[in-house]
Amino acid sequence: MYFIDAENVKKVYAEGRQKHTVAIEDFTLQVAEKEFVSIVGQSGCGKSTFLLMVAGLEQITEGRLTIDGQPVNGPDPLRSIVFQEYLLFPWKTVRGNIEFGLELNKIPKKERSNISSEYIRLVGLTGFENRYPHELSGGMKQRVAIARALVNKPKVILLDEPFGSLDALTREGLQTELLRIWLEAKCTVLFVTHSISEAIYLSDKVAIMRKRPGKIKEMITIDLPRPRTRDVFISPEFREYERYLKELVWEDL
Amino acid sequence: MRFNYKKMISPLSILALWEIIGRFIWIDPFFFPPPTAMLRELYAMTITGEVFPHIGISIVRALSGYILAAFAGLTLGLLVAWSRVVENIADPLIELVRPISTFALVPVMFVWFGIGNGSKIAIIFKACFFPIVLNTIAGIKGVDKKLIQAAKSLGAEGMQLWIKVLIPAALPMIITGLRISTAMSMLAIVGVEMIAADSGIGFLVIDAQRTFATARMFAGIIVISLLGFTFDRIARFVENRILVWHTETSLSGRMT
Ligand SMILES: Nc1ncnc2c1ncn2[C@@H]1O[C@H](COP(=O)(O)OP(=O)(O)OP(=O)(O)O)[C@@H](O)[C@H]1O
Ligand SMILES: [Mg+2]
Repeated sequence: MYFIDAENVKKVYAEGRQKHTVAIEDFTLQVAEKEFVSIVGQSGCGKSTFLLMVAGLEQITEGRLTIDGQPVNGPDPLRSIVFQEYLLFPWKTVRGNIEFGLELNKIPKKERSNISSEYIRLVGLTGFENRYPHELSGGMKQRVAIARALVNKPKVILLDEPFGSLDALTREGLQTELLRIWLEAKCTVLFVTHSISEAIYLSDKVAIMRKRPGKIKEMITIDLPRPRTRDVFISPEFREYERYLKELVWEDL
Repeated sequence: MRFNYKKMISPLSILALWEIIGRFIWIDPFFFPPPTAMLRELYAMTITGEVFPHIGISIVRALSGYILAAFAGLTLGLLVAWSRVVENIADPLIELVRPISTFALVPVMFVWFGIGNGSKIAIIFKACFFPIVLNTIAGIKGVDKKLIQAAKSLGAEGMQLWIKVLIPAALPMIITGLRISTAMSMLAIVGVEMIAADSGIGFLVIDAQRTFATARMFAGIIVISLLGFTFDRIARFVENRILVWHTETSLSGRMT
């Protein structure tokens, strides 16, 4: 049985009485536990919609969506989502943001700060614990958002274009760090991106979506050895994956 | 908030010009008592201590109305933002009463609460309530939907979502409403004391005008202006203390 199991999922957004948008339809995707799967597709094809449904923040209209055999029923800290816009709590420090999930669970202060220190180290923010979000760079903010999501020890972490608004260099640095963090945190990752090379570099599998109705068109297994270094970008296999995936994405345009 | 000496130039020039007009050019000092005369009057009021009870009673009235309005406004604002039902009941009432000029309600308040302190506090309440309630509603409703989603995905729900996310996120707006209302309370107290009172700083000014003591009248106005200024500074100070993270993030909501 698959860890994330979406079968013929349909999502209709109803806006008012008349207007309906079919965001995704006939959407089928299976992800094994601890797998790193990227979803790539044109803007508006329903990538975020699917992530929100896995997070339990949007309801599915039709079909079946189970996580670890359980139908998704509302949000759960075991399924954390990270957005492109970071969405940190501006009134909390780095440590305060990261401890948010622990605070909700009424974990005592001492223990909370032990746990958060561990995650602050994991995302490389030691020394910045007491900064407020407005005192951080974009890359640092996204590290905080990732640590904040990891602190609940989620089984699934959902990343919706997390590096979309970062400059190329910061982005490359964070990709490599994400791989390291993923290996340490041992969770299942669903990663949405517009960058095909990013998807190949990070993933076990890349799912290509098509538009109208939004559904998975093809799922490609990336057979590159791990741990991967950035050298992989210039390997012929990588180039071949890139060429093939680009073809698939452009087909619909 | 550093003291800017350049900003003293224009008010001081006006006062100097006024002094010159009042002293050397033939204008009845009844209309333009020279600033030195006002200051002399102000000094006399202070020395005899006669001004302090007036200031005291004005502050007590303003503060009572303000505190009541703050409690009622925050409570109703949160309830409206929380429940559709409450919103449907309260919203039309708010929209109906809000545009009525505060002073149009003075006669009503006299009828209901008498001409003592009750009606004055009620007027202050009317003046302060709406900025607080409206900013609270707008603040909560304006919280980024995605921020709420992020919080929910981290496990926040129900009361915790309100206390740990919605209210802190809305706090800049809420505090702005509370600050605007401090100014409102000062405006309203002076007005209502001029209409009907036998004490208070507003009374002092209108009483001076009625007895043709214009220097004294202007001295009272200086006191009012100093009071307003002080309250505004205190409100800003408190605002900045609570919103350290916000004032540095953006300058919105600040009118410096
Ligand atoms: N809350 C909503 N209400 C109504 N329609 C929506 C809503 N969210 C998304 N949609 C619609 O559903 C479709 C899929 O949107 P979605 O945001 O999932 O796309 P996406 O693949 O994430 O796009 P992008 O790459 O631009 O982020 C779009 O047509 C969009 O207009
Ligand atoms: Mg999206």
